Amino acid sequence: MIPEDKGLWSRFTRWAHQSLNLTEIADWFFTFTGLLYGELDRRLDLREAIPKALKKPVPKHINWLFCFGGTTFLFFLIQLVTGILLTLYYRPAPEAAYESVRHITNDVAFGWLVRGVHRWSATLMIIFVMLHMLRVFFMGAYKPPRELNWLVGTGLFMITLVFGFTGYLLPWDQLAYWATTVGTEMAGAVPVLGKFLLLIMRGGADVGGETLTRFFSAHCIILPIAIFFLLGFHFVILRRQGISGPM
Amino acid sequence: MAERIKQEFPEKKEEQGNPFYPYHLLKEVSWAFLMIGFVLALVAFFPPELGSKADPLNTPAHIKPEWYFLSVYQFLKIVPRTVGILLQVIGVLILVLIPFIDRIKERNPLRRPVFTAVSAIILLIMIVFAIWGHFS
Repeated sequence: MIPEDKGLWSRFTRWAHQSLNLTEIADWFFTFTGLLYGELDRRLDLREAIPKALKKPVPKHINWLFCFGGTTFLFFLIQLVTGILLTLYYRPAPEAAYESVRHITNDVAFGWLVRGVHRWSATLMIIFVMLHMLRVFFMGAYKPPRELNWLVGTGLFMITLVFGFTGYLLPWDQLAYWATTVGTEMAGAVPVLGKFLLLIMRGGADVGGETLTRFFSAHCIILPIAIFFLLGFHFVILRRQGISGPM
Repeated sequence: MAERIKQEFPEKKEEQGNPFYPYHLLKEVSWAFLMIGFVLALVAFFPPELGSKADPLNTPAHIKPEWYFLSVYQFLKIVPRTVGILLQVIGVLILVLIPFIDRIKERNPLRRPVFTAVSAIILLIMIVFAIWGHFS
């Protein structure tokens, strides 16, 4: 008779089997693939579409210089997730903004992490969007037929910078307040339009509560909608035209 | 690329390599994890600061914008403001409209040396201005 195995490994597998309920996971997996290749496939004809999209060959001349755009998108996704989490505790009012950021950093579970990741990933997103732009620029990848995607790309670049500028004010500390005062002043120096721009940005004579709510609205509603559509457009054009060929 | 676009805008023939899944995807996911790890390390070792609360009556001595606005900031400090802003607007317009200004067919940067050199010098000047702005 074989003695019951009391070894560490078999204990672990027994524990894993009981607590994770592997049969249930397998069950779920087969239901899912059954749905994908059964019921959904009958209606949407996915059986060939998914592998075709996934197995699309990547051109041979692609090297690490081509990773900057995708990395920018990765940081954008991180910004989206951490940004949504931050809005759960952030309060866009001059009396409350600073304290809420302090509360997020010191008290909220993993708040320091979410805020830190949002801050650093913003910096890295800007670095990588610049690298991506330089790659496209020096490789002449904006040349026909890709002019339109360059235009969309410069729009995305500017939106990213405005994201940075508006997000910088939100913690409402001394640096944020005075950097925004100086920054909006520069926009105010634009000939003809300057005074109007300054009023639109500040919502008053000085940086104050109206500026904060405006920047919050831009940062969390207007810019995300704009970047969503432009990113979609950027990717559709890319997929349609393919990656620029070898030089 | 669709056939009709290919005919109208011919490119050098490209060789098709490995399929995206699983070869390329594996690389991309590894790179993504590396980048996420890098961000987490940055947060752990250099957590973002929170200064003292904004005080509209008390202007601090050294106000500087974020690093990506430093070159613009330094440029506006040394030239008259209106001229500086106008030059910036023209610069951005040239950047946005570059596909319609640069009509050379050649794409290799080494085979269009004037364009590459001029752009590299402008880029270098911007980097120098940013560093100057950081230390001024």
